[in-house]
Amino acid sequence: MTQHIPQEQEQDPPALLEAFDGLSATGLSRSFGAVHAVVNMDLQAPAGQVTALIGPNGAGKTTLLLMLASLLAPDSGTVRVMGIDPIKDPAAARAKIGWMPDTLGVWEALTAREILNTMGKFYRLPKEKIPTRVQDLLTLVNLTPLADQKARVLSRGQQQRLSLARALIHDPQVLLLDEPASGLDPGSRVALRGILRQLAAEGKAIVVSSHVLAELDEIADGAVFVNQGRTVLTQTVDQAAGQGRKYSISALDPAALVAALTALGVAFESGNGRRDSVIITGPTQEYASALLRDLVMAGVDVCAFAPATGALEETYMSMKVEQP
Amino acid sequence: MTQTQNDAGPQPVAGNAGRHAGLRAYCEGVFAVVGMEMRQRLRSRGWYIMLALWFVIIGIVTWLTWWSWNAQQANMAWDTSAASRGPGPLIFEIVLAFVLLFGLLVAPAFSANAINGDRAGGTLAILQVTLLSSGQILWGKFLASWIAGIAFLAASVPFLVFGIAQGGLGFGHIAIALLMLAVEIAVVCALGVGISALANRPLFSIVVTYLVVSLLVFGTLIAFGLGSMVSQGKVNANQMGYTGMYGYDSGDIKEPVPPDYIPPLPNNVTDSDGNRYCFGIIQEMETVRTERVAWMLSMNPFVVIADSIPYQKSVTEDRTTTGIFETISQGARYAQAGPEGTYPCANGKLTADYMDQKTPLWPQGLGLQLLVAGGVVALGWRALRTPAGKLPKGTRVA
Repeated sequence: MTQHIPQEQEQDPPALLEAFDGLSATGLSRSFGAVHAVVNMDLQAPAGQVTALIGPNGAGKTTLLLMLASLLAPDSGTVRVMGIDPIKDPAAARAKIGWMPDTLGVWEALTAREILNTMGKFYRLPKEKIPTRVQDLLTLVNLTPLADQKARVLSRGQQQRLSLARALIHDPQVLLLDEPASGLDPGSRVALRGILRQLAAEGKAIVVSSHVLAELDEIADGAVFVNQGRTVLTQTVDQAAGQGRKYSISALDPAALVAALTALGVAFESGNGRRDSVIITGPTQEYASALLRDLVMAGVDVCAFAPATGALEETYMSMKVEQP
Repeated sequence: MTQTQNDAGPQPVAGNAGRHAGLRAYCEGVFAVVGMEMRQRLRSRGWYIMLALWFVIIGIVTWLTWWSWNAQQANMAWDTSAASRGPGPLIFEIVLAFVLLFGLLVAPAFSANAINGDRAGGTLAILQVTLLSSGQILWGKFLASWIAGIAFLAASVPFLVFGIAQGGLGFGHIAIALLMLAVEIAVVCALGVGISALANRPLFSIVVTYLVVSLLVFGTLIAFGLGSMVSQGKVNANQMGYTGMYGYDSGDIKEPVPPDYIPPLPNNVTDSDGNRYCFGIIQEMETVRTERVAWMLSMNPFVVIADSIPYQKSVTEDRTTTGIFETISQGARYAQAGPEGTYPCANGKLTADYMDQKTPLWPQGLGLQLLVAGGVVALGWRALRTPAGKLPKGTRVA
């Protein structure tokens, strides 16, 4: 999380929109009959960054991603994929978009290798380059041992990884991932994180929608919070980390910890975890580190001092989103 | 499917060479879809079971036909003309009719879940987000289902060859029959793929496709029958007489009639061919103008097949229609000719009692079928376009 500079989220004037390097959407809305799935959403996903799309179920995340992926036409608003309008020129936009849907949708009778081969043909990759590209991707998502198994026998997590490889087959500039981490085991999650950071370092614009907020803290550079079809907040992860958040503290002797906190005049509440811990609210990271120093100086045997929630989770919970 | 030029490729194409490259890229996309579909089909066990069942059923039909013909021959040993023809044409026609019937029954099962089955499985959007256009997806799905249908036709070839081997017919008959069967199955596959792009649920589209097929098979007959009832009309005609039979004004006949006596023709004969003649005043007669509703009959797949297969000349000479298909074809052409061509002594002219007019009925019927199928596919193509504008209620893109 140290290699990137916090991005200023500024409103681009329409003239600059065309030249925006990455994926940008302004004022998108889409309704299905009487249901307004997306109402005036904005999203900027700069190249070289991972942008998280966060919101409760039914907030319109998938609808937004479908519009960004050129599958769904917005009722109003504009989308630019590296400067290309996917409504006017879907083919050109699709050559730059990789989309991983939340529904897996694998051709069950085909093997992983055949699926990737076929996708290569659908993207009109040069025939002689497809086999090596497929093998590289199978290695990347760690499916080489299962490459010649029918997709039917793959587990959900393995299918998920295959789906990611499928989205990457044509080396897209913009990557749209709808819940990529769901169903993945911890090892695969770490691997996914590595893959996404690597792709971002290669200069690709990545949009990830996910519910696993702690995961996104590690992956994302910025976050777009949506609720009830609207963009509620746009925040960088550094901004989120800089805001006040809760810390969980535990000590070998809980009584001593409580006594020290009372002596320092810090308000606390008892934690809801399994272990005997307390929760304090720290307005800044400096405050938290000062408090830790004070506790240690006071002779408390602190054995754990960590953010109680992820930075994005903190924002998410503070939004008090309503679930329909 | 006229969108070929529009979505031939993302690169702008210039000139003839460019258009060729664009067309090749388009076809490569179609073949990639076909290849994927075929690979999936070839790996499903149900497909082989259906093929095996098909082979067995057609085999049983062939054997029963051959057996019953032999049994009939034993009973009618005196009829040498039938024996000289052999069971070939009979077996050929019955097998052909069954292959068409089963083909019409099986083809919707291949095709009518092609698009919405993928949508339900979540794989349609995966195709749509690639560089494939909706036209390429539809073509690919259609060709794949058609190839599957043709595999079934191929499985019935041995029995058609058996029919030919029994004598009476040439290999040309098999070639034409298979070609026409393939075209009819293509029509049904196109209908199925088009409907599956329009309907939301696979079950619904399969049922609708079956209904459309039965509309073609039975609906056209019913519509023709009902249509004929309301197609009353008039035709100008006089009366017909047969040479050698006594006319109305033969009062001068002397008894006994000599064996070589030929009664004189009436004096107002308008047409004669030696056997028959037309005479009398031309009057307006009430009749059914079947030619107005014959187009409905022409859309029937059985009529199209029957009418397109040439008959043997030897059969036509004795003016009796023997084959099933020949009878169907004659009936349809009779309807198409209408009273002007079939009413006895229409306009004072003798009419042929065997319809071998130069314009066959099947091109019209096939044309109408292709028009309907093409229309359905075009609607399906509209529904499949992305980015999707209006969506049918309850549709989820992915």
